Amino acid sequence: MNIELLTLSEVVDVNGQAGNFTVTVRKNPRYIDMDKCIACGICAEKCPKLVKDDYNLGLSRRKAAYIQYGQTIPLKYAIDPETCIFIQKGKGKCLACEKFCPTGAINFKDREQIVTLNVGSVILSPGHKPFDPSVFDFYGYGRIPDVVTGMEYERMLSPGGPLHGHLEQPSNGKTPQNIAWLQCVGSRNTNKSDNGYCSSVCCMYAMKQALITETHIPGGGRQTIFFMDMRCHGKEFELYYNYAKDKNIQFMRARPHTIEAGPGGVGVKMLYSTEDGRKVEEQFDMAVLSIGLEAPRDALDLAEKTGIRLTPYRFAETGDFNPVASSKAGIYIGGSFMGPMNIPSAVAHASSAAACAAADLVSARGTLTRKKTYPPEADLAGQAPKIGVFVCSCGINIAQHVDVTALTEYAKTLPFVAYAENSLFSCSTDAQGMMGKIVKEKGLNRVVIAACSPRTHEPLFQDTLKELGINGYLVEMANIRNQNSWVHQKQPEKATQKAKDQVRMAVAKAGRIFPLAQMEVPVVPRAMVIGGGVTGMTAALKLGDQGYDTVLIEKSDRLGGNAWQLRTTARGEPVRPMLEALIAKVKGHRRIEVLTTARITSATGSVGNFTSDVEADGEVRTFSYGIAVLATGAAESVPVEYLYGQDDRVVTHLQFDRLIADDPDRTASLASAVFIQCVGSRDENRPYCSRLCCTHSVKAAVDLKTQKPDMAVFVLYRDMRTYGLNEDLYKKAREMGVLFIRYDLENKPQVSRDGDRLVVRVTDPVINRKIAIDTDLLVLAAAVVPNDVADLVSIYRCATNQDGFLNEAHPKLRPVDMAADGLFVAGIGGFPKPLEESISQAQAAASRASVILSRDVMYLDAIKSHVTEHCDGCAVCLDACPYQAISIIAYAENGRTAKKVETDKALCKGCGICQAACPKGGILVHGFTIDQLQAQVYAALDLPN
Amino acid sequence: MRAEEIRLGKTRKSLFKDHVMSILPDGGNLNLCLTCGACASGCPASGIGDMDPRRFLRLAAMGADDEILSSDWAWWCTMCQRCIYACPMKIDIPQLIFNVRASRPREQRPKGIVASCDAALKHDTCSAMGVSEEDWRFVVEDVLDEVRAGQAGFEKLQAPVDKVGAELFLNQNSREPVTEPEEMVPLWKILNLAGADWTYGSKGWAAENYCMFMADDASWEHIIRTKVKAVEDLRCKAWLNTE
Ligand SMILES: Cc1cc2nc3c(=O)[nH]c(=O)nc-3n(C[C@H](O)[C@H](O)[C@H](O)COP(=O)(O)OP(=O)(O)OC[C@H]3O[C@@H](n4cnc5c(N)ncnc54)[C@H](O)[C@@H]3O)c2cc1C
Ligand code: SF4
Ligand code: SF4
Ligand code: SF4
Ligand code: SF4
Repeated sequence: MNIELLTLSEVVDVNGQAGNFTVTVRKNPRYIDMDKCIACGICAEKCPKLVKDDYNLGLSRRKAAYIQYGQTIPLKYAIDPETCIFIQKGKGKCLACEKFCPTGAINFKDREQIVTLNVGSVILSPGHKPFDPSVFDFYGYGRIPDVVTGMEYERMLSPGGPLHGHLEQPSNGKTPQNIAWLQCVGSRNTNKSDNGYCSSVCCMYAMKQALITETHIPGGGRQTIFFMDMRCHGKEFELYYNYAKDKNIQFMRARPHTIEAGPGGVGVKMLYSTEDGRKVEEQFDMAVLSIGLEAPRDALDLAEKTGIRLTPYRFAETGDFNPVASSKAGIYIGGSFMGPMNIPSAVAHASSAAACAAADLVSARGTLTRKKTYPPEADLAGQAPKIGVFVCSCGINIAQHVDVTALTEYAKTLPFVAYAENSLFSCSTDAQGMMGKIVKEKGLNRVVIAACSPRTHEPLFQDTLKELGINGYLVEMANIRNQNSWVHQKQPEKATQKAKDQVRMAVAKAGRIFPLAQMEVPVVPRAMVIGGGVTGMTAALKLGDQGYDTVLIEKSDRLGGNAWQLRTTARGEPVRPMLEALIAKVKGHRRIEVLTTARITSATGSVGNFTSDVEADGEVRTFSYGIAVLATGAAESVPVEYLYGQDDRVVTHLQFDRLIADDPDRTASLASAVFIQCVGSRDENRPYCSRLCCTHSVKAAVDLKTQKPDMAVFVLYRDMRTYGLNEDLYKKAREMGVLFIRYDLENKPQVSRDGDRLVVRVTDPVINRKIAIDTDLLVLAAAVVPNDVADLVSIYRCATNQDGFLNEAHPKLRPVDMAADGLFVAGIGGFPKPLEESISQAQAAASRASVILSRDVMYLDAIKSHVTEHCDGCAVCLDACPYQAISIIAYAENGRTAKKVETDKALCKGCGICQAACPKGGILVHGFTIDQLQAQVYAALDLPN
Repeated sequence: MRAEEIRLGKTRKSLFKDHVMSILPDGGNLNLCLTCGACASGCPASGIGDMDPRRFLRLAAMGADDEILSSDWAWWCTMCQRCIYACPMKIDIPQLIFNVRASRPREQRPKGIVASCDAALKHDTCSAMGVSEEDWRFVVEDVLDEVRAGQAGFEKLQAPVDKVGAELFLNQNSREPVTEPEEMVPLWKILNLAGADWTYGSKGWAAENYCMFMADDASWEHIIRTKVKAVEDLRCKAWLNTE
């Protein structure tokens, strides 16, 4: 409602400055009236002109009247003027769409429009462009049919793609059995391409594609990934890598030189040299080139129009301490336009950009926002259930494996069902509109949606009902996608039967649901930030700048955390001055209260209204607040190997940083230095990659080489994971003569003392030769371990992953939200990451938090426990409740004192444990009452209730 | 490959690799190796003597200078440039190898190559087979007469020698005139059918240059200069070397 979408539009010009920009936009004609189009698709069906479908990278065809894909927002058709017969040939030609469109939405008089917008901040998020591998003639792309790009392969695998997920070899249409992926195509390459950086995402996408492929091929087939370094530097990525190895995906550390077509032009053939120098010739049915990401084609143009600066790679220039700010005040960057990154980072950066853009506009906040209002709720009391069942095809996600027509017909036969229908995407704006119409027309008072997960989609359907003046809790969902079509892909008949069971259960429950009232909680516009590192301070600052009172709690006696020990960022910006400035700003901010040597000891309440006791310097104070940001950070682990602690020439990363800062003469006098990577990371005890240590070591090596160019510097590594633009540093280190030697977990380096010499031994896998390095200094890239958050976990009932890092609600879509509403996580307490990424996440958390803090009231979910007249105060539920939401009260009844329990709606999470524990039906959870659940169970067994 | 431990660290000697880097543009990128193996995968000499371009470069990087300098593999390399073509870092391994060859005393270089270079230096023909100007002229005319007489449709075939002002100056590997003279004919026919204005020279016509392969810079230069002069003397516009 507060977002206006301008589609088919291009920025022509941006003028003005922060707080007051004038943006000129060219809106290209759609030739279809958005208000009239109901997305029935008849125009596309009747349009005779077939053209290559760009969305599927030309692998399939669409019409000149089209939508890009089923979930297009807004779901409105468009006419492609480049190919439309009428537009190209003129008068008297075609006009099929106009003839058949049932709503008269076709409008060939539509013309380009220039609109000007007055805005306070600008966010640029034009993304990236996939690399075109034709420049490498030796890979045969475009010439050999069975060589495809990763992007094309992605579409080929997609159930919604041109092959409907049934993999086919382009040359002969057969199911490929043996597929090879070639990594780093157009990344980490300065020969015939200028992309020296690592694209960050392709190792993971190749692995994902290989794993999905395995499930698409009867018998699993064979998947081989040819790589230089597997870069699995994200949260839980290393686990995924290990899983892929267990699943028999072949990881081959080799780089084929040339791809040739297989016999008769079918398949491919290549020769490669293994790391130990064996030559292998192998044939594959297909080769997938894991292409990288580049700056968008029109980056230069956009930079000129907006006046921002670009990097030599033509990505937007940003600073490490201001990671989403462009070089021009008031213009921010979101996503991969600032360099290659994956979805979680892009989403976090987008929120971060939103925070910065919003902070610039505080003085005008709320002046242009629109609020949604709902009609008053109709009273349905006494009405018999009249149920409508809406079956979603989810494109082909559901329809491919579940017979949705049969399901819809079946639904019509169920008790109380007055109407049933099937639609392509029940969640589309359009389908929602239609649903509203039908509910009104047919006088429905309960709705069952057979589609996907209520976790993601229930709020949407609830909203549709609310807009009709019907209580939102009168909707029930049957998850026939995640719990059915996705898991029973090979048994369509059984899947359809199961879907019927699911719908029958949902209908049975729907017959017994009743309107529920949401509780209103006034929002306390104060933020609690836990952890006073760079992340916590940045979050506090962004919140304070937006005008929210913020309490910043730091466990130790000073602000700053790990950043005190860092010298410079990867790109060389000095940390200390930034840190000192940040601390000064935070301390001097009139909205921020800093408490050091402080600990939070309790938390009650819920989103919008928490209350906590905080112990600071022996004194206890109580704060109420609307949200909390957990920025609890992490620490360097203490190595237990390589003579650490036994020889003072052996130091950790952070100790090294201090050494070079405090005693540069000493480091400059060294004749040699060795770095060992992955010390305590990526092993049995800590099966994760600490993400920042490869870059840290490379930076340190460069610093040493800068101090003393003829120092002999070595880095012993397992995979160099200098992802993204950090690859430049890796290259620079090599350029300066740093020697990188790979080792395996099974064959770790040996460190020994030989007299007073410190000797590191390692086997070089390429020449298969033992190397003995005499060194003056040994730096260990010790793993990053999360700070202990057990107390917070129990106070807030939040969760960490198996490694002890705090969990986000959804790694891709909600990277800084926690599962519990009102809690946010940012910084290295969530996962190790360098400063600039921590800062970006901190800003993202502030942005997400302000969505809550900017409201006056929060509506709590109505799924809560309610005490009934059957309660006799036995208190069984009291201990069972994990949220301490139940208390016991005494009251007078017939002159005697009786007992019963009472529940605190703010604390209750509706988990249902009390209801299960109570032997007497004394406490019920609305929305999941015993009666409702029982009806579902009977329906599941197909028994009369 | 040898088995003994390579010792690195404090006592850093000046490496042969550093010497080569100092004479190449951008140092031939020799430091940039990612050990990806693209070069080794594509090199026709990979595996011979348990060596390949990646290993060769790696040994150089590790300072195993005596090993690479004495390695016969440097002579197995064909100088085909396949390695640098696909190398993501455009590392000039062929130049590293060339300089290894150049550092060998002349008497220790492979006899066949040395003899071919020496033969080429003997005549202005630059022929590694030692073909003289007269012999060359004779063979060309003899073969031409045979074709004209015996092959229908080619009665007017041309194979000019020393045609002043011709468009193209064509080189010829001197193995053909000596061992399989009729192998020269197909190209003549193509050029004739295409209506090309071409000529051989009596001097500087031999396409091969073994002095380059043996990394004898002075002789290499001499050979090239002789060939250039031959082209210029005939005032030809383009020099076509089919090697
Ligand atoms: C070994 C190592 C090497 C690194 N190298 C680099 C590098 O080279 N380049 C780079 O850019 N980044 C590097 N980083 C990362 C960088 O330090 C962080 O991204 C950045 O400092 C932000 O950290 P943070 O605020 O999230 O966490 P921290 O700096 O750890 O701060 C967290 C703070 O929270 C406090 N705290 C914890 N629990 C509680 C609690 N319950 N109550 C109150 N307070 C609490 C802690 O005392 C601490 O002060 C490195 C980190 C480590 C550990
Ligand atoms: S190393 Fe980097 S560029 Fe290469 S495939 Fe992996 S993520 Fe992509
Ligand atoms: S050194 Fe660190 S960043 Fe590099 S691979 Fe090991 S754990 Fe990952
Ligand atoms: S191709 Fe280039 S980077 Fe790869 S191993 Fe060979 S020389 Fe090194
Ligand atoms: S130039 Fe030499 S080393 Fe390079 S590919 Fe050719 S033969 Fe191999």
